[in-house]
Amino acid sequence: MTRTKSIVSILSALLMICAGVTPLKAQTAGTQFEQRRQRLLDVVSQERDRGFFTVTAKFITGRDKEWALAMLDSLTTDESIGGMFYSYTAIGTYLRLQDQLPDSLKQKIRQAYRERTMYRGDTENHWVMYYTGLYLASQTWPNENRSQWFNGKSSTENFKEAEGWLKRWMNITSTIGQGEFDSPTYFIVFMTPMLTLYEYAKDPVMKRKAQMMVDLLFADYAVDHLGGNYCGGHARDYPEDIINPLSAPAALWAWLYFGEPKTELWSETRYHPRYRGGWETVFGAVSSYRLPEVIYGIATDRSKPYVETETKRVRNVIRFGLDKNPPVYKYMYMTGLYALGSLQGGILQPIQQHTWDITYISDKTNNTIFTLHPFYSGKELAMFFPEEQKFLSDEVNRYHLVYTDPNKWNSSSPYEQTFQHKNAIIILYNIDKEAHQSHIDGFFPKTLDERTEDPSGWIFCRAGSVYVAFFPLKSYEWIEEKVNWRWRSTVLKNGVVAEVGSSDEDGSFGEFQKRIIRSKPALNEDEKTLMVQYRTRTGDEMKFTFGGERILNGKKLDFNTYKLFNGPFIQSERGSGVVKMLFHRKVRELDFNKVTIREWKLSNQ
Amino acid sequence: MLLVCARSESLLARQDTLYMSVLNSRKHRLGALDNPTVGLFVSTDAGATWKHRGWTGYIRTFYTETGSNGVIWSACGNGVLRSSDHGITWRITTGWEVTEVLKAKVDPSNPAVAYAATAYGVFKTQNSGESWNEQNVGFLKPFVSDIVVDRSNTSKLLAASEDGIYVSTNAGTQWHLSGLEGKGVRMLLQHPSDSNMFFAGTEDDGFFFSSDGGSTWQQSNAGLTQLTVYTIACDRSNADMIYLGTHGGGVYRSSDRGKNWKQVNQGLGNLVVHSLLILPSNPSVVFAGTLNGGLFKTTDRGDHWTFNSQEEGQVWGLWAR
Repeated sequence: MTRTKSIVSILSALLMICAGVTPLKAQTAGTQFEQRRQRLLDVVSQERDRGFFTVTAKFITGRDKEWALAMLDSLTTDESIGGMFYSYTAIGTYLRLQDQLPDSLKQKIRQAYRERTMYRGDTENHWVMYYTGLYLASQTWPNENRSQWFNGKSSTENFKEAEGWLKRWMNITSTIGQGEFDSPTYFIVFMTPMLTLYEYAKDPVMKRKAQMMVDLLFADYAVDHLGGNYCGGHARDYPEDIINPLSAPAALWAWLYFGEPKTELWSETRYHPRYRGGWETVFGAVSSYRLPEVIYGIATDRSKPYVETETKRVRNVIRFGLDKNPPVYKYMYMTGLYALGSLQGGILQPIQQHTWDITYISDKTNNTIFTLHPFYSGKELAMFFPEEQKFLSDEVNRYHLVYTDPNKWNSSSPYEQTFQHKNAIIILYNIDKEAHQSHIDGFFPKTLDERTEDPSGWIFCRAGSVYVAFFPLKSYEWIEEKVNWRWRSTVLKNGVVAEVGSSDEDGSFGEFQKRIIRSKPALNEDEKTLMVQYRTRTGDEMKFTFGGERILNGKKLDFNTYKLFNGPFIQSERGSGVVKMLFHRKVRELDFNKVTIREWKLSNQ
Repeated sequence: MLLVCARSESLLARQDTLYMSVLNSRKHRLGALDNPTVGLFVSTDAGATWKHRGWTGYIRTFYTETGSNGVIWSACGNGVLRSSDHGITWRITTGWEVTEVLKAKVDPSNPAVAYAATAYGVFKTQNSGESWNEQNVGFLKPFVSDIVVDRSNTSKLLAASEDGIYVSTNAGTQWHLSGLEGKGVRMLLQHPSDSNMFFAGTEDDGFFFSSDGGSTWQQSNAGLTQLTVYTIACDRSNADMIYLGTHGGGVYRSSDRGKNWKQVNQGLGNLVVHSLLILPSNPSVVFAGTLNGGLFKTTDRGDHWTFNSQEEGQVWGLWAR
């Protein structure tokens, strides 16, 4: 304990020093952010949604306090609300409002941590919420014995456990990557706890680490962000968000912090705003955290196209594998009008994986195109959950009906692999004949301005100034659905090649098509596998064998060279714990080893 | 449930206390704990009535086992829970390092020693859960779903893993693969009267037994139509009478110590049976805990079943004292 305190003291001193020498002050996006956060609080304070966020907004704005008090009282006594979500939101609300709450209500909140079972959960975001709540609650009520806590542990034991896990998670995330990475839905249940931890952790090391995690989460989002859309591959997401990206909860965070999209999404029914009623952004609006200028710039400057590669990690593999957290390799090509992003394919997350997509700027809904193999199996689930395989299959059928749905829009698959280079991608499928689903699907929104099938075999799409070329390797059909055309192919050895362009890059749609048609993917296959060779419209040669090599212009792609982050905006070597963000010669460096944040400006040379 | 076979109290003139670990997931919504039927339930009238005891809320309890002096251990998603007052209050004895605990087994010779079978391997406490140590030396893959402490030699342990059966002869310090290599073993049980005999239930390969203390194993599936075996129970009043709970096949009964099996499901409303309990004071009475069908009871050794309680509930564990 003494040694720990010493280390804390040294680290505290270090970060004080760093804070003192910081040449570039962290800045917000300016008064516009202040206006947006006030606007959000104003809107939420007029709501009557059940929850701590509404209560917080009402107290902060001074609106409808009686209702807020009654709601808070209800939340402290209602046993039907609990678990890890309760664990951090209750204490976050307490700490924010404690000066305004009557003692009786404060006692009730304290009582909840004494009597209510707080389920820790079984996902990364669950644990982040649970341990954030436990850390802050045990910090708030220290020196209490085991009988005073729901889990039979003392304040000291709870604090130590929570601190231990949170620091371990921060270390893993900053060295080998996040598990539930880049999720347009689950982003909020990492960001909100970390903002709460940053706001209220008394230990300066934990406070600084939480700030660094908020920075890291925002930067990770920013580099995949386009006009409010969280683009490319995701560890986890819900189908309604996948096919309509601006309906995802993360979009509201983009509105608040990045100023995009401009529209106030909660008033747009076409986005079916699922976050309405959750309002986690309130904890951001009341936080003293301000988005660094560098991250704001990364999120919003789309003046030049860029490639960003990243490494993440697979959710803990508990069975059928020797590696607990195999790497996930992520590729993003971003422009001012569209993004093409992908994961390498395979089973990287159970149930909700989104492997690749094209997402484009549009004032219409459903602004995305992608394909998938709607795989499911008990064995996949048993890789990640401890219950028996057959039971898991039954359960997921019952509660995630979409899991076994042949028409689902989210899925991992061991029979899907990708190879992306800039704005071109090859997706191959080599589906086992015993697999549950023997088809692949593609999502094509009805909101496209054009969708035509060329005699050359290419399918061409246009959405405003964005052009998409899509080459199916095998026969297919179109199925009309409510908001989209479902492209379906039932051949087991299969695949597509896609290129994306825009008026900026290709001139007219016609010019784009002419450039595309000059090349045609060449397919070779045998009993075991399939291989595609393709020359992009810009002359790059891509050769991809399912289960084999990815070769670009004669050079084999080696995923081992992937860094944690590698692109013009974010740089980090795997395992280093140092993340460097760059924007317009401004640098912001997060050093998780030294627990320091440094900013400086590069010289002109 | 199964280790009820090992009890030595008199069968007659005793009042059994029954314990049931329930997770009623049909009504459960994550983040909104609207289900009053999760947790530990206790019956002192042979299952006529059950009373909720102890913790409320969703913690994913898989298994509960009692010790002496009111001690109860429970294996949960949240870790290993322990109560020292008959389940009135509980303490999570483990930290973040121990999670996804499928079984918690107590050393019959030392109540302070317990083992946790988890998705991340075996953990051991020697001080009633005050601290736990990882005990995974020798495992090729760490997923362990059950442990048996040999009552005739408590330094000897058997572990059910995703990769077969492992044995330790030094109380968990080191392990070696002993049998059923490559098979997903979910459940282990020591015979109540023959300590050299062990039984194993597997995910897809049915039932196995060993007559030499776990050194060699034989498959014995005659009569089994479903080969995913979740649970095994022995009638300690009749050394040859064994029951199996299976996925999709309901309950099977053997009257020749596992050589032949007969399906006994009349009245059993759900055929995914994860836990079995033979009433110690009356072995004709057997309880079957199903996943999503609740608890069923028979009074004629399985010939006829009637629904007992926990409608649509997942009854993961049954135990008697």
